[in-house]
Amino acid sequence: MAKKKSEEYGGDCEADGEYGEEPNFEDPEGFVDDVTDEELLADVLKQKPCETDGVENVVVVDNIPKVGPARQEKLKSVVEKLFANFGKIVNVYYPLDEEETTKGYAFLEYKNSAQAEEAVKALNNHRLDKSHTFAVNLFTDFQKYENIPEKWEPPTQQPYKVQEDLYNFLTEPDAYDQYCVAAETGQNSVQVQFWQNTIPEPTDLETRERFTDTFVKWSPLGTYIVTFHKPGVAIWGGTSYNKINKFPHPGTQFVDFSPGENYLVTYGPTQTGQKIIIWDIRSGQEKRSFVSDNMSSMSMFRWSHDDKYVARMCENSIQVYETPGFYLLDMKSIKIPGIRSFSWSPTDNIIAYWVAEETDVPAKVTLMEIPKKREIRNKNLFNVADCKIHWQKSGDYLCVKVDRFSKSKKDKKDADVKFLGMFYNFEIFHMREKDIPVDSVELKELILAFAWEPVGTKFGIIHGDPSNANVSFYEVKKGQKPSLVKKLEKKLCTHMFWSPRGQFVVLGNLTMGTLEFVDTNNDFVVMTTADHFRASDVEWDPTGRYVVTGVSSWKVKEDTGYNMYSFQGRLLRRTMLKNFVQFLWRPRPPSLLSEAQQKEIKKNLKKYYPQFESKDRMRMTRASKELLEKRAQLRAQFMEYRNKRIAEWTEQKSRRLQLRNHVDTDNLDTEDVDEEIVEFLVKEDVTVLE
Amino acid sequence: MKPLMLQGHERSITQIKYNRDGDLLFSASKDQKPNVWYSLNGERLGTYNGHNGAVWCVDVDWTSTKLITGSGDMTTKLWDVQHGVPLASIKTASSVRTCNFSYSGNQAAYSTDRAMGQNCEIFIIDVRTVDASLSHQDSTLRIPVLQSKVTAMQWGTLDETIITGHENGQITLWDLRTGKEINAVNDHTSQINDMQLSKDGTMFVTASKDTTAKLFDSDSLMCLKTYKTERPVNSASVSPILDHVVLGGGQDAMEVTTTSARAGKFDSLFFHLIYEEEFARLKGHFGPINSLCFHPDGRSYATGGEDGFVRVQAFDNSYFEYVFE
Repeated sequence: MAKKKSEEYGGDCEADGEYGEEPNFEDPEGFVDDVTDEELLADVLKQKPCETDGVENVVVVDNIPKVGPARQEKLKSVVEKLFANFGKIVNVYYPLDEEETTKGYAFLEYKNSAQAEEAVKALNNHRLDKSHTFAVNLFTDFQKYENIPEKWEPPTQQPYKVQEDLYNFLTEPDAYDQYCVAAETGQNSVQVQFWQNTIPEPTDLETRERFTDTFVKWSPLGTYIVTFHKPGVAIWGGTSYNKINKFPHPGTQFVDFSPGENYLVTYGPTQTGQKIIIWDIRSGQEKRSFVSDNMSSMSMFRWSHDDKYVARMCENSIQVYETPGFYLLDMKSIKIPGIRSFSWSPTDNIIAYWVAEETDVPAKVTLMEIPKKREIRNKNLFNVADCKIHWQKSGDYLCVKVDRFSKSKKDKKDADVKFLGMFYNFEIFHMREKDIPVDSVELKELILAFAWEPVGTKFGIIHGDPSNANVSFYEVKKGQKPSLVKKLEKKLCTHMFWSPRGQFVVLGNLTMGTLEFVDTNNDFVVMTTADHFRASDVEWDPTGRYVVTGVSSWKVKEDTGYNMYSFQGRLLRRTMLKNFVQFLWRPRPPSLLSEAQQKEIKKNLKKYYPQFESKDRMRMTRASKELLEKRAQLRAQFMEYRNKRIAEWTEQKSRRLQLRNHVDTDNLDTEDVDEEIVEFLVKEDVTVLE
Repeated sequence: MKPLMLQGHERSITQIKYNRDGDLLFSASKDQKPNVWYSLNGERLGTYNGHNGAVWCVDVDWTSTKLITGSGDMTTKLWDVQHGVPLASIKTASSVRTCNFSYSGNQAAYSTDRAMGQNCEIFIIDVRTVDASLSHQDSTLRIPVLQSKVTAMQWGTLDETIITGHENGQITLWDLRTGKEINAVNDHTSQINDMQLSKDGTMFVTASKDTTAKLFDSDSLMCLKTYKTERPVNSASVSPILDHVVLGGGQDAMEVTTTSARAGKFDSLFFHLIYEEEFARLKGHFGPINSLCFHPDGRSYATGGEDGFVRVQAFDNSYFEYVFE
């Protein structure tokens, strides 16, 4: 194509030739050229070859092993294989000393500088073995550090950027909660609405079209909301949900906040596994990145409650990283052969983990203190198929659900282990008592759900067949075995959702969409049953006043939307929304009031109660007044129309009479129906009494 | 109060109607035999045997002497209500979808489907004297409907007009003296399943597949009110004594087998006529409600469902005591 064009152009030139005399392009006399080349052709000059060309493609690798000629081939292959991951290596150079031994560093040249930079990023501090940790630098760094000017210039002061108040949403005087509703509006475009749950009707705060590509997520304290996009993720906050920061990690599928909202972890799949990046939220800096070769939840990072540590499980070990440097705690991972799962305490720097059973060694649940790595409690368990670790939210108790078996069979064909005669133990650890005593509760039936009361001492278990389940509630007391306080039988539920403030629990069957609201402080009475067909989500608001059930178009295509209930199960609002996908309450940070202050408020609740009550009543009457006015207006309009029509209709009476043989049928004459009782003799029986 | 269950049909109900006095309830069904019931106790008086196809529509004249039915067997039949014998049978070129007596009962109208290469047509016949000869007589008026077929029909109050609802949601007012269209509106976006006049005939309520029911003025076809639901509406009726409208519907009959009764929303929905607010729901049928109507005294209403049952539900006192402020 290009060739053809030039030919055409040439042709034109020839044609132009006919125009004869060429104008004069000479500079006039005395002309001074005051336009520099840079001004004129900056873009062309940029491409001009320069001396350093090729140099920035070179990386310097320090701390490679010093080896003699015999093992150099091996070394080269190892090093180059590692570095070839980032692009083709076009040139290598291993400097040798007099004895033909490598000097401990090497130069590798890539095709372009981007590959070189990538290699530096990924392999700097790479541990080849115990004594060799690579230090990889760009060759051009030498120049950079050489050229540091002698005289230090103080950095220029940056203009102060006013930070928006991120906690504005907490200053709502009536403590109305916020929620967001996401609905798919097209491929990779999700509309998000922000609402304030005001009385009597919620207020629309903001609607954002195409806010995110897939879904949204609140940070654990409700400060930020995160959105997902092709180039990465962004967080938003403040009064009008402005962009606070963005984190360029293309293809991020999932994110996780640290509990204190200091760090963000992004997970994005790569061709072979996934890339995980830990970011500092405030600065937007990448703190550390990991490449993992599997997608499983094994590689999930789990945070300690105070953001001090982050840990992940590897095969036979736990890696604990210390913030803010993100180095391994004591520079080494904690070896735990056979570890299957672990979990941080929500209030203390304690890790609970369990290791599977080996031939002669029992399975074991261990509590370990971090950073001392001291085991503070051990519990051996036998015949264990699986364990699940459930911490109570206030960290007072830990429950380990143990699936046990009476017999196991190794299936020769599948090499799968089959367990027979399953039964279930709940090992309750009393964390706040001396030496952490452990109690056990045993159940024979299949366990469908387990949940701690977030505040309080109760836990609930749903067990049995899903269509005919039993719900058992236990109470844990200091120094005592957990006691069964109530068993609700023949329930149709599969999940249980405790109110975040405790006491109330919603038992739900998420395939049928039936819900039962239970008050656990009042003899476990079922207050109400509700029905939201095919509801797939149940969400308590952070204050425990409202429950929302949602039918998401991720699961069901018809009748998507959400219902809002009071905590007693009274249906407040039904909202149908096309392509609705998510309903999320905005979380709240924990109260700043001390325990004593909260107690004080609870004690004086009677004093505050009428205040709030009258406020609410005022709002409701205002709303109902508005409604009544609206209705009155509708009524007046309609009656005006009706009266006109009725007048017309009355005028037509004679014509109607004509049509029906002068029988007036306008008023029904069925009012005086006589009821007639007709008695039939059906059968006559004679019974002789003895 | 416990509803009366009228069990007599073997297939789904297509239309139910009370007579003017309200003592009789007529039901048409796909099982070919229209039934008549005592509305007070649900006892079946008899059946009208003679059709060889699904009966799509039924109407009774104001004196409760004549009955008209239209069927998929390509006939419309006139019956003696009291004796249950057919008086006349009129052959048509395709299925009869709608049929109605005029206010005076001197005329009747019926419409046929656009099928088998036939156009949809509206016929007006004189039924002052009904005997076998009617089948040979020409209709007094024949209106070919070239656009969308007629799916619901009502007579205007004075025997001068008819109102038709169409498959595409259009509603048309016809002048019977000229056979010409007077007015047409397109407030609905999908098929009109049912149209019922208010007690005085000045308004009518439509039920449409577009999940809404609307209230129209019978002369100007002005849309007065809209009642929104979540499902196609199959039938709607205005209470003769209160400002209430009842709506019935549910899934399309085709999709019924794949949905459970809880998802189908087969409830009757009660709306306030003026405020357009839903204030009550009544469960009952196992399938969609195909037809419903208020008793002429407004103290009960009847529903006919895809499940083949007719239910007559009398209202409790609380229904009458409930007042919208």
